[in-house]
Parts: sequence; C-alpha cells; structure tokens
Amino acid sequence: MVLQYAKWPEIQWMSDDAGWKEAKTITAGVDIGTTSAQAAVVADGQLAAYAGIRAGTDFRKTADEVMALALGASGITLERLSAVGATGFGKRNAAFATESLDEVSCHGKGARFIYGSEVTTVVDLGAQTVTAIKLYEWDRVWDFAMNDICATGMGRNIEMVCDLLHVPIGEIGEYSLDLGGKPDPEPVSTTCYNYAGTETMGLFRPEFRGDTLNGNEICASHLFAVAWRVLGVIGKLQSLEPGDIKVEGKLGFTGGLAHNAGVTRRIERELDTTALTSEYDPMLAGAIGAALLVLPEAAERGGVR
Amino acid sequence: MAAERSAGAGGAGLVTAGIDAGIAYTKVVILKDGAVVGRGIGPTGGVDRRERIEEAYQRALEDAGLDAGEVKGVVVTGKGKHDAGFAGKRISELLATKRAVERMSPGATCLVSAGADETIVSASAGEGGAGEYAFNQKCSAGLGLFLEYMADRLSMDIGELSSLADGVAAPEASQAAEGVAIPEAAKAGEAAVNEGCVVFAELDALSLLNHGVSPADVGRAVNRAAAARVSAVINDITYPSADRVVLVGGLAKNNAFVRALETLSGIKLTVPDDAEYAGALGAALAAADSAQ
Repeated sequence: MVLQYAKWPEIQWMSDDAGWKEAKTITAGVDIGTTSAQAAVVADGQLAAYAGIRAGTDFRKTADEVMALALGASGITLERLSAVGATGFGKRNAAFATESLDEVSCHGKGARFIYGSEVTTVVDLGAQTVTAIKLYEWDRVWDFAMNDICATGMGRNIEMVCDLLHVPIGEIGEYSLDLGGKPDPEPVSTTCYNYAGTETMGLFRPEFRGDTLNGNEICASHLFAVAWRVLGVIGKLQSLEPGDIKVEGKLGFTGGLAHNAGVTRRIERELDTTALTSEYDPMLAGAIGAALLVLPEAAERGGVR
Repeated sequence: MAAERSAGAGGAGLVTAGIDAGIAYTKVVILKDGAVVGRGIGPTGGVDRRERIEEAYQRALEDAGLDAGEVKGVVVTGKGKHDAGFAGKRISELLATKRAVERMSPGATCLVSAGADETIVSASAGEGGAGEYAFNQKCSAGLGLFLEYMADRLSMDIGELSSLADGVAAPEASQAAEGVAIPEAAKAGEAAVNEGCVVFAELDALSLLNHGVSPADVGRAVNRAAAARVSAVINDITYPSADRVVLVGGLAKNNAFVRALETLSGIKLTVPDDAEYAGALGAALAAADSAQ
C-alpha cells in the first residue's frame, strides 16, 4: 500500500482584473469537507478568487488556511469581506464565517453559477456522500436525495482503489475507459472500500472467469459500481429504478468526482444524456454557492458587515 | 542472520522459498536446510502486482546470495497467492502461519495473526491440520490498511501511530473553534471510534477531529478499535488456550495496538522477531517438506 496515488493537486486562482478589490460587496464561501476544503471570493457577484486544499487533521486550521489561500496576496482582509458563508462537514470550524449554510442549497446555487440556468439536476459527487438535487427554474431546491446505507463508496472508495492499484487519482477515470473497444466488465459486488482489496484480488484470479482482467478492466469494474450507486441516488428523486431514470432538462456534476470521467461518463451512458461542462472547477460549487447565498443580504446592507 | 546461515551450512543444501503475497506487502523467506538465509519485502499493490511479487522474490534471493535456479521449491500463501504464477504450490494462510509459529515460538498454544486485511486466530498451534481456528467475522477485515490510512490522515507515519503512549493529550492541545465543544468523553481520554466497521470508524475519527479532538487522542482511539476487533476474534475460539499466545503479522509491529490488545483480552502476548514474515516462513517450511 503506497498512500500517494490518491493525492490530487491543490489549487489557487485569482482574477487578473484587480478592479474586483474595489467592488461594493465582497463575499466569500468556504466548503470544508471531510477530505478537501475549498474557498471562493465573489465581488459583486463575479468570481474573483478561489483555492482548494486537502483537509488536514485540524479542521480549524484547514478552514483558516484555505480562506487565507483564496485571499492570497490581494490585500483583502477577512474584515473587508461583507459576509462569509460556511458549508460542508467541518463548517462549524470556520470561526471567521458569518453564516452557516446547508450543503444542498450551496451546491444548487453553485451549480447554477457554474453551469448556468439550464441545469435542473445537480449531482454532487463527494468524498463520503452523493447528493442528487433537483432545482426549480429559479435557484431554489425543489427536492434532493442522499446516499443511504453507509457513507462509503464515493471518493474515498476511489482513493482506496487508486492506492491499491497504484493508479494516480487524476488518471484513473480515463484509464478505466481505455478498454480497447471492449464493453465494461461486471461491476464489483460492493462499493464498500473495506472490501476493495479483496474484490480487487478476486478480479485478478484467472480461476474466476477463465481469463484475468487487466488493470484497466479492474478499474472499470470499480468505477462502474460507483456510477451504478450514484444512479440509485438519482433514481430516488423520481422513485424509479436505475434503467428507468430519465433526467429532464440538463444534468450538472459537482464535487471532486466530477473530475473523474470514469464515473461521469458511465452515469451519462446509463442515463442516455450528456452532462453540462463549464470553464469553472466543479469542485468549487459548494464554496461559490455559499459566497453567493450570503450576497443578497450583504448587498442590501450596502456591503458593510 | 550470519549465525543462521552457518547453522545450515553442513546440510545437503536444500533451498526452498516461501512467499506471502499480501494485499499490501509481499514478504519472502529463503530457507537453506531449514535455516533462514534470505528475506525480502516490497509493496504488492498495483495493477502490475505480478511483477511486484517477483521483485520481492528477487530481493530475497539477492539477500541470500542465491540464484532462482538453486531453489528446489517455492510455495506461496496470502490473499494474492493466485498472482504468483511462477510459484509451484499454494498453501492457506492459516496453515502457513501455524507452520511458522511452531518454528518461531516452540510451545505456543495459540496464535493470533493480524495483517493488512485478515485476522486469524488458531487455538491449536503446534498441532497438524487446521484444528480449532477463527477468522475475522462480518466485514471487520482491513485492519492493517485502515491503520495505515488513519496514520496518514492524522499526519503521522505508521511508526508514530504505533508508539502513541497511553494516556490523554492535554485538552489545550485540541484547538476547536469557538462554539465547538470537545465531547466530554474525549476530554476524559475516552474518545472512541466504531469497533465493528473500519468505514464507520474512519467517519467517527473525522467527527472527533471536527470537534477539535487532538490527532494523538484520535490515534489512540483508532488503535483501541483495531484491538477490540482482534480481541473479538480471539473470543470466537470455542476452547481458548491462553497459556502461550503468539502474535504475528504486520500489526504485531504496532506497539500501541499490542498493548491495547493485551489490556482488552487479558492475555499476555509473545511477539517473535520478524513477526511480519510468519506467513512466508511457513510457506518456505512447507516447500521444504514437499521437496524432501
């Protein structure tokens, strides 16, 4: 077991147009997850800066760090921010936040920013959770569904598979799709990551199936199982079984696994649809949504705290 | 190792190898006339695990100063035993470990093997056959992988996790944001995570961190949970024989876990040298048996 394949790069970005610092209302949002933390700065409704890091052992420090990284060398201080919304598993540790917000509203709002008004079904693919959100035409949540059973089987499961198979997390998606024209193998029987090791060992065994699966096929088997699990959650929104699910309107993915084509393409295939794409990083949806949700009241106050 | 080498020098020169291809690491032992003359270890993971297993085997041969051609028999055990195509025979992990413990710790009445994925307890160490044994039940496998991941998540290396002293970290050490209360149990040094499922345990650990509990306290809770799991497997034995209990497998190197297991089970454990090579040694001994 080498614990380095599952580590993804940390990000920091700031708008080249320094004019945003003069904006009347500057708000920020932080999304402190179990595994990653994101912060976004919004100036009069425009995305001005963001950062994303891996969560550390100290959630308070993680929140402070990601916020500081987003503000970077801009000279904008926390006091200058009109409002800060916090969301995610560790939101209580964002001591600098002025409001605590629920994850579903933040991802809905953030997805509308990232994918535009077209998006009606948002699927947040997190490290420990999967949430399907249906939005009204205006930016309000109509309904949502979350994973039941237990929290495992999402990003953490894929981290485990990456470490077991020594495939970098940034590459496993494309790697799993490179099957030389062959169809997907059967999905593994469970997405519980505690079973991933045993499942993987089994797939290498020639006695099981006459021939062995290669690395690409083993990854495909794992990611297909994850995609199938996500379909179940989308199906809960419509009380339908996977296979009967139809997404009306457009679909948009958020969260870290939105970067994993091995999961998203398989979901698209099963739903017979193409998800929206965007210039923005879908992992930032929660943070952007939090920054936007605290904006109207802050603007009403004239940008003062 | 030099002494062991000379011990076998006068024999007929029978060389055998045992490979324990685990989920996380492959361990290899080379025997010459019953004495250990070489060892090798390396990570098993990866889509090219076959090559990784062969690499570990080559490393052991180099350590022994021998060529593959001189090896008269290779037996493989461990979860990945089907991946070592070049090895002759396979042997179950239980039988390999039993065979090794007879050698490593003569007179043992019970053995506990705790590795990356599997926990095995055998109450009939020293006797032939499978005998009275218990494996981890339900889905409480993966203890070793869990501890390795948790150490990483707590920004410790596995050595730091295993050398965590008993006791409580000062509450001041925990830095929770204002309004975030450290749970009372954690303040009293009784922070706990789920003992039945490592997935739940990991989420419990993250919750503790989220409440400002120190990584050291979370690490202790994690070690205790793993010990509780293994202790439960020991309790599954119908006729426990606690006279002389030997602990082998990768977890035997985790001192904090071993102490927690002794406390919870009330059993004094003997940890032989090179406890993580037990499976490989047993396989090499089995290879010697069938080569003679």
